[in-house]
Amino acid sequence: MEIQELNELSPLRAFDKSLGGGLGKGNLGVLVSRHGVGKTACLVHLATDKLFRNEHIIHVSFSGNVEHVIGWYKEVFRQISENRDLEDASEVYNEILANRVVMNFSQENVSVEKVLNSLETLIRQGSFNADAVMFDGYHLTEMSEEDVRKIKQFALDMRLEVWFSVSPVKMNVNYDEYGVPDTMLKYEQLIDVLIGLKYNERMDKVIMTLVKDGATIDPKPMQVTLDPKTMLIVD
Amino acid sequence: MSELSKMRNIGISAHIDSGKTTLSERILFYANRIHAIHEVRGKDGVGATMDSMELEKERGITIASAATNVTWKDHPINIIDTPGHVDFTIEVERSLRVLDGAILVLCSVAGVQSQSITVDRQMKRYNVPRIAFINKCDRTGANPLRVKQQLVDKLGLNAVLLQIPIGLEDRLEGVVDLITMKAIYFDGPAGDQLRYEEIPAELVDQANEKREEMLDSISLCSDELMEAMLEENVTEELIYKAIRKGTIALELVPVLMGSAYKNKGIQPLLDAVIGYLPNPTEVTNTALDLDNDEQSVVLKSDENLPPVILGFKLEDGQYGQLTYIRIYQGKIKKGDELINTRSRKKFKIGRLVKMHASSMEDINEAGCGDIAALFGIDCASGDTFCHPSLNYSMTSMFVPTPVISLSINPVDKKSADNMAKALNRFTKEDPTFNTYVDPESNQTIIQGMGELHLEVYVERMRREYKAEVVTDRPEVAYREAISQRAEFNYTHKKQTGGSGQYARVAGYIEPIMETDDEDAKDYEFVDQIKGGVIPTEYIPSCDKGFQLALKKGTQLGFPIVGVRAVINDGAYHPVDSSDQAFQTAALSAFRDVYEKAKPVILEPVMKVSVEGPTEFQGNIFGSINQRRGIIISSTEDGASCTVDAEVPLSEMFGYSTVLRSLTQGKAEFTMELAKYAKVPQSVSEELKKAYEEKKKKEQSK
Repeated sequence: MEIQELNELSPLRAFDKSLGGGLGKGNLGVLVSRHGVGKTACLVHLATDKLFRNEHIIHVSFSGNVEHVIGWYKEVFRQISENRDLEDASEVYNEILANRVVMNFSQENVSVEKVLNSLETLIRQGSFNADAVMFDGYHLTEMSEEDVRKIKQFALDMRLEVWFSVSPVKMNVNYDEYGVPDTMLKYEQLIDVLIGLKYNERMDKVIMTLVKDGATIDPKPMQVTLDPKTMLIVD
Repeated sequence: MSELSKMRNIGISAHIDSGKTTLSERILFYANRIHAIHEVRGKDGVGATMDSMELEKERGITIASAATNVTWKDHPINIIDTPGHVDFTIEVERSLRVLDGAILVLCSVAGVQSQSITVDRQMKRYNVPRIAFINKCDRTGANPLRVKQQLVDKLGLNAVLLQIPIGLEDRLEGVVDLITMKAIYFDGPAGDQLRYEEIPAELVDQANEKREEMLDSISLCSDELMEAMLEENVTEELIYKAIRKGTIALELVPVLMGSAYKNKGIQPLLDAVIGYLPNPTEVTNTALDLDNDEQSVVLKSDENLPPVILGFKLEDGQYGQLTYIRIYQGKIKKGDELINTRSRKKFKIGRLVKMHASSMEDINEAGCGDIAALFGIDCASGDTFCHPSLNYSMTSMFVPTPVISLSINPVDKKSADNMAKALNRFTKEDPTFNTYVDPESNQTIIQGMGELHLEVYVERMRREYKAEVVTDRPEVAYREAISQRAEFNYTHKKQTGGSGQYARVAGYIEPIMETDDEDAKDYEFVDQIKGGVIPTEYIPSCDKGFQLALKKGTQLGFPIVGVRAVINDGAYHPVDSSDQAFQTAALSAFRDVYEKAKPVILEPVMKVSVEGPTEFQGNIFGSINQRRGIIISSTEDGASCTVDAEVPLSEMFGYSTVLRSLTQGKAEFTMELAKYAKVPQSVSEELKKAYEEKKKKEQSK
């Protein structure tokens, strides 16, 4: 299969459709769930889909281990290319690699200014025309509302689509029926899209619920789910 | 066997400037001193009258040798020198094979640096158990606790502090041993008098806290210790045992500290080498059976088995070539016959020696696990010597191909002679270093793994061999390849009196795709001839003809790789066909069809890692971007950042100078070959143009 066809058949088209055509530049999207449901894989799948469509991605991680992140990308790429029998897979992989930078912060409490500063340095001085930034495992729930506003402004200024995968930091958090923790609520008006991930045992699927889309807060299930085995988004 | 369980074969690895040399010196000094005291009795007190100058001089000599034998508390320790720079990867890796354990030296100020990461990765690959020593605790800004944390974060090691410092920077006095819970001070001008005291009052709380942490980490490796902790019945013995077990199983890395320069912390480090690093019997070593498709075989530390030996380093001694060896299996005696499994040459062991810190000792036999040296053996570095009944190799025969070449010209006749000697030696020592004379320009070309790699050899020619040479600009070793299948049908015919030549070959060439499991092969020949349209005896000639064509591509004159040549049709003439005719036909057929197969140029792409203060991150990004580089990742850790990128080698010439000026000398970089990749169209046009011009120029000469 060729790359164009692969993109047309991708379950991510249904994902975008649920969001009325995708998140869009200048907007903040959040994937939230309990630990271990598959947010990172989901985020990497979103990023890989963008890479397949020639977009430039910055993946921001706070794990201190770049190899681990790169491993995720490799694995997601391998699964997609094998499922779809992609032509010239290794060449495609090398090409899209040039459009992805992993930015890693080893310190736990690095400030938002510092992160945005480094991103801007990479975009401007590294001449890296990023289309989207994926924040993997950011402690969003620990941040001030002011900080979130700064990121929103940055996304608008730099014309970026920004995605977060968020897990709550504290132990005593209550989750609602969509997998969204109560600590998330105070940010609800600051972000543009909020998607909750929750494992449903009966269906053996991770249900993705679009809790908030633009101005409307009217939770409805998305057309796509997450396969708990491959951790990929499926139709 | 009791001797063997006491023996340690260790290496000392470090980033440049973290004090490896000083530490090695001190180890030799302390270990040798005690050894000397033993030896001196009954030997007219030679050692006792030695003045410090002589000692100093001897230390200098011993540091230069590839393996030094010292004795610490009745344990023989072989210290194997590990070269520092990544450009010599093959040499580093070869010496890592020989080690059973290692000391990873870190600077207490700079912490885990790019090279520490490289070295640690190599040690992981060879499963080398290690002890970390945080050196330079006397320096301003010393922070051993931070360095320990970096070992955890950056190297992913389960680093466990066994000591805490007493004072830091210029007030460094000694260390607190968290196992015995005693303070250790190092008295005397040479720090050789150890004084054990109670822990200073202000450190008691910290020591208790760190001891708890230590016990928690160690107990994960030992159920015995875990139980003892629950019963509050922890003994020093149990702790030692658990650390040893964990270290050898690569589950934890003990962390010690001190200052080699100030003579602090060295003796406990030596104790740790004996206490926690494995003896030769505790390490599994494997060889490759060359008679059995390089299947790996486990070697046994048994003196009764036929010997298997690795020659890991060559050195020019006063009495000829010295070959450092490690015996992995069996034992050897003077007069034994061995076979070099690479060259298939048999030889008898003449002189066998052991290198001590201060002398060379002739020995009659060497046992399993030991490090020794042979005199006058004709071999290359990395060769395996076996009992003639075996055909094992300790290293795979695979050697990476050089990525860079440099033409060198001796300034006069004497230099020319010396240069030849030097080159002969270097190619023996280092399989990644090649040399040949270019038939077209008649210049001597040297090839290697990087700019620095070659620079060092040129420098060594000057210093060690008094060969003055003029060097040209280094050149990248490009490759050519084809990108699509193309069919050929070529007839070679010549009828100019005498016997004629006739051959026809037909078939196709196509690129060999690399798979996930292995890199693409350079060349494959497939014979699909049916019905004898080309007689069997001429098939190898076709193969040869293609190989000849591949040696030199027509785009840039570099070798063509990744080609599968298939022949499926042809014709011959009963009189006029010959080996030569078919060889020429295949060669011409390839040249003819090459353009149709859409040839491309490949260039070496390096994995570059730049490390420097965060404030220069932008400059680093910019410098990579200007060099057709791809930024893979950037990692920030407080004030420092590491940028990993892939950059074509051709763009990396002179990068160290550029980087220095961009970052006020505060950043540094390492690089190694990542892959060969297609050159972009615009660059490829330029390269071809330059090649055409060069060819014209040479022709007009």
